Amino acid sequence: MGVFRLVIAGVGGQGTLLASRLIAQSSIDAGLPVKIGETYGMAQRGGPVMGHILIGEGAESPQIRPGEADALIGFELGEAVRRGVTYLKEGGLALVNTRKFPPLEVISGMMEYPSEDSLLSLLGEVTSDIVKFDATAIAEEAGDAIATNMVMLGAIVESGKLPFCEDVVTAVLRRSVRATYLETNLKAFTMGKTAYGDSSK
Amino acid sequence: MSVHPVVIDEPGKKVLLMGNEAIARGAVEAGAAVATAYPGTPSSEIGNTLSRVSDAAGLYFEWSVNEKIAFEVAYGASLCGQRSLVAMKHVGLNVALDVLNPVSLRGVNGGLVFVSTDDPSQHSSRTEQDNRWLAKQNCIPVLEPSSPQEAKDFTRYAFELSERVKLPVMIRTVTRLSHMRSDVDLGPIERLGRTPEFDWEGFSYRVAGFEKLFRRHGERHEKLDRVQAEFEGADFNQLKLDGSEKVGIIGVGFAFTYVLDAIRKLGVESEVAYMKLATPHPLPTEKIARMLDGVEILLVVEEVDPFVEMHVKSLAKTIASSATILGRETGDLPREGELSPSILDSALGGLLGISVDRVDRSGVEEKVGELLFDRMLTLCSGCPHRASIHALKKAVRNVKGDLMSVVVNGDIGCYGLAHAPPMSFEDTYFCMGASIGVSQGMERVGVDTIAWIGDGTFFHSGIPSLLNAVYNGLPLKIVVADNGTVAMTGFQPTPQSGKTATGKPAKKVMIEDIARTLGVDSVEVVDPYDLEAVQCAFERMLEAEGVAMVISRRACSMEAVRAMRPDKPVPYVVDAELCTGCRICLSQFGCPALAWNEESGKAWVDSAICTGCGVCAQVCPFGAIRLEGS
Ligand SMILES: Cc1ncc(C[n+]2csc(CCOP(=O)(O)OP(=O)(O)O)c2C)c(N)n1
Ligand code: SF4
Ligand code: SF4
Repeated sequence: MGVFRLVIAGVGGQGTLLASRLIAQSSIDAGLPVKIGETYGMAQRGGPVMGHILIGEGAESPQIRPGEADALIGFELGEAVRRGVTYLKEGGLALVNTRKFPPLEVISGMMEYPSEDSLLSLLGEVTSDIVKFDATAIAEEAGDAIATNMVMLGAIVESGKLPFCEDVVTAVLRRSVRATYLETNLKAFTMGKTAYGDSSK
Repeated sequence: MSVHPVVIDEPGKKVLLMGNEAIARGAVEAGAAVATAYPGTPSSEIGNTLSRVSDAAGLYFEWSVNEKIAFEVAYGASLCGQRSLVAMKHVGLNVALDVLNPVSLRGVNGGLVFVSTDDPSQHSSRTEQDNRWLAKQNCIPVLEPSSPQEAKDFTRYAFELSERVKLPVMIRTVTRLSHMRSDVDLGPIERLGRTPEFDWEGFSYRVAGFEKLFRRHGERHEKLDRVQAEFEGADFNQLKLDGSEKVGIIGVGFAFTYVLDAIRKLGVESEVAYMKLATPHPLPTEKIARMLDGVEILLVVEEVDPFVEMHVKSLAKTIASSATILGRETGDLPREGELSPSILDSALGGLLGISVDRVDRSGVEEKVGELLFDRMLTLCSGCPHRASIHALKKAVRNVKGDLMSVVVNGDIGCYGLAHAPPMSFEDTYFCMGASIGVSQGMERVGVDTIAWIGDGTFFHSGIPSLLNAVYNGLPLKIVVADNGTVAMTGFQPTPQSGKTATGKPAKKVMIEDIARTLGVDSVEVVDPYDLEAVQCAFERMLEAEGVAMVISRRACSMEAVRAMRPDKPVPYVVDAELCTGCRICLSQFGCPALAWNEESGKAWVDSAICTGCGVCAQVCPFGAIRLEGS
């Protein structure tokens, strides 16, 4: 097996880090070496966050080259497109949360948030395998917007792209998430799986 | 919750660790008794981790007030035979530099390991300084790991080495390594159980005599020679050289990962000789000489200055090697900024005359760049700093008539974002504590200023410079943005918190008490969530004679929201009836929880991130924003 390369994009405070860690721990439990490269700077929420995950033997640095990612998990519309066009390989899977997290430029009125269609058509120049849904709305339905990361995790598991099976992931999830949040998280995870199924048809 | 992986006592177990956590684990495995640190990205997780596990690991950990003190505390423990660790970001070593030289000159007793996390490309720093120069200047051995596994293993080894040769040892990481995570095999945890005792013979003027202890430069060189001999034979400095290769590469520390990735991508394993170099100082010169003898071209790959490259060039001259040495100095690799696999692909491809197939997305990237914002950094929703700046601007306008009538000298921390729009009310920041220092020079020559400094920064280096202002009689105006924490680096406690790094009760040291004791003429403490009150306090400060300080005190909103979990704050809402669509809350205040509805032409509040601070309600001139349910 070669190296599986996954890019995670979002903004601070969305729980992208936890999603990366659950995927990495699942890799270890499945007996696969794993590397996560992360760039984050300040504590403030709302800054752009990106993680590179490389699973399997043969990768040394925790950085994915442009155009070499097998899949992208985009937690936020604009960030998904920004990272997707750079890192996704041609035809790679783009999972996109269509929820917008407007930055200061938009809040203060200096710029407008571009439309979903205009953004996704640019992502479309790189891949046609775009699966999109409002993951934050789904998480809210499951009980808490914070569980957006679980919705996205459920979706990537359902896509069958990860080199290990669902049971490994749910076992890690049960072990790592605090009891008070577990139920909501598992519900969000399951709803994420369904969302992938519905949206990828 | 389960046991933190850093203290799991199961040798051989594979766990997921961040580079910084792996360093903490290395210290635990080596049986360190004392660890100190001052927070700073990308080093903070070393201390964050140790603060959490110190009890379980039987190790004392503290967040010291600054890096120099952290270093001295660790050194004191070392002098008494204990192993000790001190961690800081690269610029922190500038603060600790004064103590570094005596430590290496006098030597250590218990192993003393310090970590410098360098930040190529300045992901979260104001310089990309390469601290290997400072290690060289002070005759200090340096180990540069290339993975979390090595970060752990090297830290452990560094303690043994330091103790054997009696020199401090530096572990040097870069941001990518400090912040990466991967699977790490745990080793056994040593429980040294040493009885601390000051080494009188080794370090006491009274016992050993002043002259014997004072001049030791020669001894330090001899120690370094012994380290070099050890590095020469060490298996972590791996050399792959068949003799048939024309091109050789030295990959230093983490940069080696890029080298190997490029070699694999190009499929040129057999065509290049390479060396994985873990010890940039002192260099294993014999091993490198073998490489120089064997190849025609040698590329040195390192983060971020041409430190090894320059030393290899000088070695080549000494041994009269004819190899051409390339790297960052020659411009064959970029002269600044961090490296990447793609940069190495091109560099290596160029040397071997191989064309590299590269994905070029610049076309679509450009289109995205035109369409999409950059996502400027801003303060969080409900951040008390935003309220303080908003009020400070109003106060300056009222008292002085013009926002440009003062130079606002800011400082390092979240509040340093005061320069960003829509606040845009900060002119400079340089290094920690400089707000108060630089303002004095300006005031001295007749230029009005406001010093704008955080609570964490005030404790780190603001105190002596405030003393200087009082003593030298300058009527300085100082605003302390006091959010009760060192927020920017991950919410570490300050001496005002009443808690130590490990959560134990501590004496509260209040900034107002310090200021009054130092002789500041007027000191006021106000809550920035009360906009009118804080604005009035600022106005009084601007009109005061003598040194005046306003401490604008309110907990960091991220911390406050965390502290109330699982409860959530009650958000504010915009009353669409009353909102006139003037956009003042957005364009002048700009809390990220406020948003604009194109269709209705009114503002609205995103309840998911509103922290319920209520400040926007005071900003709105039409009373259109109110607490939900009220
Ligand atoms: C010498 C040095 N050490 C550490 C740092 C890292 N650092 C950046 S901001 C900061 C302090 C922030 O705390 P505070 O002044 O309380 O401001 P806040 O972020 O809480 O607003 C630190 C320690 C640095 N920049 N320089
Ligand atoms: S982390 Fe705290 S201090 Fe920093 S911007 Fe956010 S709310 Fe403000
Ligand atoms: S009350 Fe207003 S200023 Fe405070 S967090 Fe909510 S939207 Fe932002």
